[in-house]
Amino acid sequence: MFPKPIEKQSAGAQFAYKSLLPVALLFWLAPLLAVALFSIKPDADFTAGNYWGVPSSFEGFTNYGQVFFNSDMPQYLLNSFMITIPTVIGAVALSSMTGFALGVYKFRSNIWIFFLFVAGNFVPFQILMVPVRDLTLSLGLYDTKAGLVLFHIAFQTGFCTLFMRNFIRALPYELIEAARVEGVSEIRIFWYVVLPLMKPALAALSVLIFTFIWNDYFWAIVLTQGPDSQPVTAGITSFNAQFRAAYHMMSAGSIVAALPPVAMFFLMQKHFIAGLTLGAVK
Amino acid sequence: MLSKMKTTAAAAAVASAFAVPASAELTGDLTIFLDTSNPAPRATMEAMIGRFGEKHPGLNIETTVIDREAYKTQIRNFLTADAPDVATWYAANRMRPYVEAGLFEDVSDLYAEPAMAEGLASTKGALTIDDKQWGVAYTYYQWGVYYRKDIFAELGLSEPTTWEEEKANCGKIVASGRACYTIGTKYLWTAGGWFDYLNMRTNGFDFHMDLAAGKVSWEDDRVKQTFMNWKELIDMGGFIADHQTYSWQEALPFMVKGEAAAYLMGNFAVAPLREAGLTDDQLDFYQFVKINPDVALSEDAPTDTFHIPANAKNKEAAREFLRFATSAEEQTIINNGKNLGQLPVNAGSSVDDDKFLQQGFKMLSTNSTGGVAQFWDRDAPAEMAKVSMEGFQEFMVKPDQLDKILSKLERARGRIYK
Repeated sequence: MFPKPIEKQSAGAQFAYKSLLPVALLFWLAPLLAVALFSIKPDADFTAGNYWGVPSSFEGFTNYGQVFFNSDMPQYLLNSFMITIPTVIGAVALSSMTGFALGVYKFRSNIWIFFLFVAGNFVPFQILMVPVRDLTLSLGLYDTKAGLVLFHIAFQTGFCTLFMRNFIRALPYELIEAARVEGVSEIRIFWYVVLPLMKPALAALSVLIFTFIWNDYFWAIVLTQGPDSQPVTAGITSFNAQFRAAYHMMSAGSIVAALPPVAMFFLMQKHFIAGLTLGAVK
Repeated sequence: MLSKMKTTAAAAAVASAFAVPASAELTGDLTIFLDTSNPAPRATMEAMIGRFGEKHPGLNIETTVIDREAYKTQIRNFLTADAPDVATWYAANRMRPYVEAGLFEDVSDLYAEPAMAEGLASTKGALTIDDKQWGVAYTYYQWGVYYRKDIFAELGLSEPTTWEEEKANCGKIVASGRACYTIGTKYLWTAGGWFDYLNMRTNGFDFHMDLAAGKVSWEDDRVKQTFMNWKELIDMGGFIADHQTYSWQEALPFMVKGEAAAYLMGNFAVAPLREAGLTDDQLDFYQFVKINPDVALSEDAPTDTFHIPANAKNKEAAREFLRFATSAEEQTIINNGKNLGQLPVNAGSSVDDDKFLQQGFKMLSTNSTGGVAQFWDRDAPAEMAKVSMEGFQEFMVKPDQLDKILSKLERARGRIYK
């Protein structure tokens, strides 16, 4: 078996593994720990150069209080939900249908249409920046949540279709044939036969897309501006004053902004891992 | 994107019912766009607009506050498409594109009024293009050398006034194991401040402005002299090491810990230094020293302004608002320590008791006869400012590359100004 289980290694190797693991873990988590530490520090600590030391006073309540009650953060968080949830629903709904069509029906250009969806994933999205910005502007969707949602749905559907099509391909085709023999219409086959079987894929994909969209920063700053439409990832910098960057407030804001996807991950861990490995292991 | 606030006080409406309509009574709508999006300046401005509204109950004022950075891109849109009656912006070269495109209203008539002519003389130059004025200033702040008084006392130094004294002081500070100046040039502009002062002190205000306007060659010997003066400080180890990796804020700890003795910076540096525990006994200010004795002293004092867009609908009310915002009384209120904490633009205003604001106001009103500059990245066109500040940073790290850097800037000048 590869890799060799740690219990079967020599005592020395086991000891080294067990003692180095926490060190490596701390090392990897250092940036996150720094953000957590910064979020309870007073502003003065940064000017005094006290970056890593003990906070000179505990300002956790003040900083987080500011985030929730004296800033646009609640609005930004709400925007994030209002962008992420419709995108998840839209992308998953569309891709279950495209996945069904491409997975079940055999028609001539099937594979080429499928490649079109897949190819979308290989386009570096940075090169789309200017055209997409101009497009949303001329559609009157610039700086609106709807514009961001529509673009995300369009862009995410490519990946989702790949995922769904492969999942549907793996379903026993006999079920669909049996339903056809019974004279069930195609749309009802999709709704009553295929969709219930897709539940694990739907859950996994939803979790995955939720974190993708929630963490999107690039399109948030390209397509929106200001607290009326920007999601939280872009809104964090609004803590900066005209002259000064408020590191303590940005840290507190980042922690708050990171909570929903982290909570999502821990609550739906099973689906998340299933989503990442689905189709990878036969 | 926008957050809106309507200030039509019911009480004011009642009051107007009893008041005898004066001939100067203003009516209609007044739209004001502000870029003062941070909580404290925003509250200051909204309170000021509230006071203006009380004076003119017939006016329906609508204020829109736009995020400061977003404002910089949106202004192009709204000045042409849906212009407000009053908009905030910046003085000097930063307003030039809009003046030249005919998007700002000529307000020279306001400066012809005796009250404004006397009160606003200090910032008039910054708002003048082609002998006409295109807006009014509402706040500004000084630049200068903020230094650790206790370190100066420990080393037996006094505030320098000449270049020789400055260098002698710096020699002693370096000998004590400290750097003379802290600076963080990661975002370039801080080096622009040093260049402003060194060039203005070496060659004078007019030469500096000509250079910003692209009228002088970067390979001119006078420009080289400025850099030679700068090099003296660099070669003696005057600046902290690795400054190109710090932002201006990240350079503050060197001053707080006493590893550097001074900081050439705007007055906004005082607040964080105080918060970090430096008292007014430890922190003090002096005007950047004279270098060339034949040159009149001039200062950097970035100015924030109000303008009336050319497409504004209620220009009469907008003019009244400009008069109100620059009045001695309002200037005293909005610039005090509780509000903006900066300098009032009206000579008749009183300055906050803060010792740095007091010194800055005195310096700018009595000891800056050469002129008031806005800051390198506001005086020079944006593209030239960027290229040149990259050059300044490179020079501070590799002073021996000067000739190469200057020839690069000269090429950029040929390309940018045309």
